[in-house]
Amino acid sequence: MPDVAVKNLRKDFGGLTVLHEVSFTIKDGEFFTLLGPSGCGKSTTLSCLAGLEQPTSGSIAVGDTVLVDDSSNKFVPPEERNLGMVFQSYALWPHMTLAENLAMPLNIRKVSKAEQKTLIHDALDKVGLAHLAHRYPHQLSGGQQQRVALARALVYSPKVLLLDEPLSNLDAKLREQARVWLKRLQSELGITTVYVTHDQEEALAMSDRIAVMSNGHMLQVAPPHEIYERPATAEVAAFIGRSNFIDGTVVSALGGAATVRLEESGETINVAVSDDAATGDLVTVAFRPEKVFLTNRGAEVPADAIVLNADIMTTSYVGSRYEYDLKYGSKTLLVDSTTGGLTGAVRLVVPAEAVRLYPRADVVSKDVAELMAVTH
Amino acid sequence: MTTIPETRPAAQATVPRPEYPAPKYRRILGADRSQLLFWATIIILALLVLAPVVPTLYQSVLDRPLYEEGGLFTTENFTRLFTEANFGSVALNTILFAVMTTVMTLLIAVPMAIVVIRTNIPGRKFFGAAMQWPFFISSLILGFGWITMYGPAGFASVEVRRVLGFLPWDLYTLPGMALTEAVALAPIAYLFCANALRNSDASLEGAAQTVGAGPFRILWSVIIPMLRPPIVYSSVLVFSMSIETLSIPLLYGQPVDITVFATFLYKNGLQSVDPDYGILGAASVIILLVTVLLVAVQAKLLKDARRFVSVRGKATRPRLLDLGWIKWLAVAFITIYVVIGALIPILGLVMRSFTKIFTPLQNPLLSLTMGNYQRIFEFPAYVGSIRNSLIVAGVGAVLVSVLAVVAVVVSKRSTFRYRKVIEYLALAPQAMPGLIIGIGLFWAFAFLPFNMGSLLQGTIWAIIIGFGLRALPSAFGSISPAVMQIGEELDNAARVNGADWLKMFLRILVKLLTPAFVAAMVLTFVVMMKEYSPAIFLGSADTAVIGTTMLELWVQGNTGSVAALATIQIVITAVFVGIAGLLTKGKKDA
Ligand SMILES: Nc1ncnc2c1ncn2[C@@H]1O[C@H](COP(=O)(O)OP(=O)(O)OP(=O)(O)O)[C@@H](O)[C@H]1O
Ligand SMILES: [Mg+2]
Repeated sequence: MPDVAVKNLRKDFGGLTVLHEVSFTIKDGEFFTLLGPSGCGKSTTLSCLAGLEQPTSGSIAVGDTVLVDDSSNKFVPPEERNLGMVFQSYALWPHMTLAENLAMPLNIRKVSKAEQKTLIHDALDKVGLAHLAHRYPHQLSGGQQQRVALARALVYSPKVLLLDEPLSNLDAKLREQARVWLKRLQSELGITTVYVTHDQEEALAMSDRIAVMSNGHMLQVAPPHEIYERPATAEVAAFIGRSNFIDGTVVSALGGAATVRLEESGETINVAVSDDAATGDLVTVAFRPEKVFLTNRGAEVPADAIVLNADIMTTSYVGSRYEYDLKYGSKTLLVDSTTGGLTGAVRLVVPAEAVRLYPRADVVSKDVAELMAVTH
Repeated sequence: MTTIPETRPAAQATVPRPEYPAPKYRRILGADRSQLLFWATIIILALLVLAPVVPTLYQSVLDRPLYEEGGLFTTENFTRLFTEANFGSVALNTILFAVMTTVMTLLIAVPMAIVVIRTNIPGRKFFGAAMQWPFFISSLILGFGWITMYGPAGFASVEVRRVLGFLPWDLYTLPGMALTEAVALAPIAYLFCANALRNSDASLEGAAQTVGAGPFRILWSVIIPMLRPPIVYSSVLVFSMSIETLSIPLLYGQPVDITVFATFLYKNGLQSVDPDYGILGAASVIILLVTVLLVAVQAKLLKDARRFVSVRGKATRPRLLDLGWIKWLAVAFITIYVVIGALIPILGLVMRSFTKIFTPLQNPLLSLTMGNYQRIFEFPAYVGSIRNSLIVAGVGAVLVSVLAVVAVVVSKRSTFRYRKVIEYLALAPQAMPGLIIGIGLFWAFAFLPFNMGSLLQGTIWAIIIGFGLRALPSAFGSISPAVMQIGEELDNAARVNGADWLKMFLRILVKLLTPAFVAAMVLTFVVMMKEYSPAIFLGSADTAVIGTTMLELWVQGNTGSVAALATIQIVITAVFVGIAGLLTKGKKDA
């Protein structure tokens, strides 16, 4: 199964640009997830892949087959792309039984009746519903319908599988089971899969690689671990997991290190930087609540760690850990800790490798800004 | 709870899976076959809609009949229309008639809607259903019925004159025409008001009630303002319908020489020995302009009204107001409308069809006869008109509904560049009075090169085209909501699975739309059964329909046979609607 290459994909609706020159490549057999807040253009990207929307410009190719290319004016309609797709509403045809639903793509492909029978049985068997082949969609539960939709998308062995929030209509418990099951099925089949979700946990758990989108831009494309540990932008850091953000200014920069004065307190900290930072740059310092720890004044800390003086405002016990709200200047910082019962003035210790430095995030969209303001 | 099945052992993945390549669809001249269907649809619609309009426009500025050689352009037709032809007073009559009809329609419909939907009068369900009757009966038949009962020599009139010594009303006046027309159109206004009242937010009224407002205060301050959008909309609708209507003005106005737009066309086009085509064209163009304008206003209002409704959010069951003793007044009012307005005239007409003489001066039961029916069945021409009506309505219902389904689906569910145009074209005949469709098509057939028009002129196909055009907007309107209810993801799923647009349409949408299609066919059948005005110009001796035959018999003074034909038409419609109802119900149960 071939790679999927998307180059400079752009989509306008009327005057509104919904996708801005998005490019990415999906490797053969990869589970690739488009993740982002509602309205960021995930479904639009998927529709362009499926051929249900015609991109304004850009190109899409699967292996050697060019599906869309604005320079040569090529557009392959959805029916000739041979992709499989599962829709959010499942889109099972209500007037056909499950077997008939699955037979439709095979009929169109002129597969012989005998072969159809085995293919349909195999596909339904794979999702555990072979015994319900002669039921109508409305006689199934939501979870069963979702699996039929998947079987229908797989029955003709498409080149690529496209999934648009297929689990979002399931209840929480079922969703978690379905996640595991779907991931296993995908890796067994080895089918290249593009998965759309706004649920970061789902994305982190299932994907080989994740593309984080926001406002029609692709912010970062990387494996889950990297997305979480090294978010490319403040927005990604805010959207994936929880993060604390403190604004600051670079007062001096030398080689791989920079000194940043924090706006909240006037304290200065030393941070390792990968890119070049220049004196006077406005920056945002970010760290995750579970990567830091709290100590009493006077306790020993690693030499290169950043130490901030803060006051504990509230504590909440959430089972596996304690969550502390710290007052730091006018900001509230969130810290996870395994020790309970801390109160009053504490030192917040941020190990050097837990700190990320970003350009001051004034490009952050409104909903992300809200996320950053209340990170818990 | 459903459990997630174990997947097969991983070993299976290593088996290479067979390929089932996507189908290739053939292209004709670079366009796929769905595009061809889109273009075919828009071309057929454009031909149908433009066929009556273009020749009319052309004729209006031509100095001689458009099929004669050597015509010159002129504006003289319009000048003559207003000077010689006395079109000014015709316009005034029309406006007076339309205004009176609109006012009376609202006076009947609005209180009726409030009382039936929002108060606790007895028999609400029955009255609600009774408001639908006129849909099944043409206003021509209603007019015959009214004359039979309340006309100068009508059954009721004679009795009243005998008792009082004089007759306190005169049907053959503008107010008389307007009253009958209002009775016929009230159900339409009622429908819009009733819908608004049903969808309205009961919490507003609840709030008013909790602060101690009585039922009349609530009526005045909460319910009436809510009705403003439907009242405005249905006023425009009723106004434009009464501007183009022919039946009542023809029946009542002819004997006393009151002429409105439609009867002007009728007189000038049909009754004069040597019709003045220039004047006919000019008058048609002016009437068309007025109706197009009104339909445009309607469309605008309807859009706004929808917005008005949709912001109200979820509908709650409205509370019923208690009017106290006044409710008996309300019941009396509705009963009078239903019984005197509709029931008595229709029953009178049926009675008339079975009697030799129909007057209170002699017991009608003593002169019972089948003679009126006999006469109809003796003359092949009359039997032929019944057969023609059935063929036109039957064939037309199928053709129009098919065209409407395709037009709706293309306009709502395709990426065709001109899909909006398709919708406008399909709805355009709303603005075209039946007579003008008739005149325009007549000219179009006469105008076609190589004498091609003669293939259609005077045939039943000409009638089917004319009536079909009239019925198309309602068929489109009845199918459109059904299409909107089908989730678009069903189409998309079919496309991704390998169906091109046409296959998707045939395998998915057609099946899902079957109930809506059947409903549209029933509706179209009824509409085309009632229709007659385009046939006045398009019909020939062989292609008369029930409506035109009734008019002919009426002019001959053969009222008994008119009544018989009317009864036959009512029975046909009732039987058809009844059977269709039974069939679709049986299907739903299965
Ligand atoms: N047909 C359309 N016309 C105009 N705007 C559209 C259309 N379809 C989508 N949009 C806009 O494009 C943007 C992206 O839409 P899209 O459906 O791709 O979002 P999404 O990321 O899938 O969101 P969600 O998670 O809510 O499904 C939205 O702002 C949406 O309003
Ligand atoms: Mg979406």
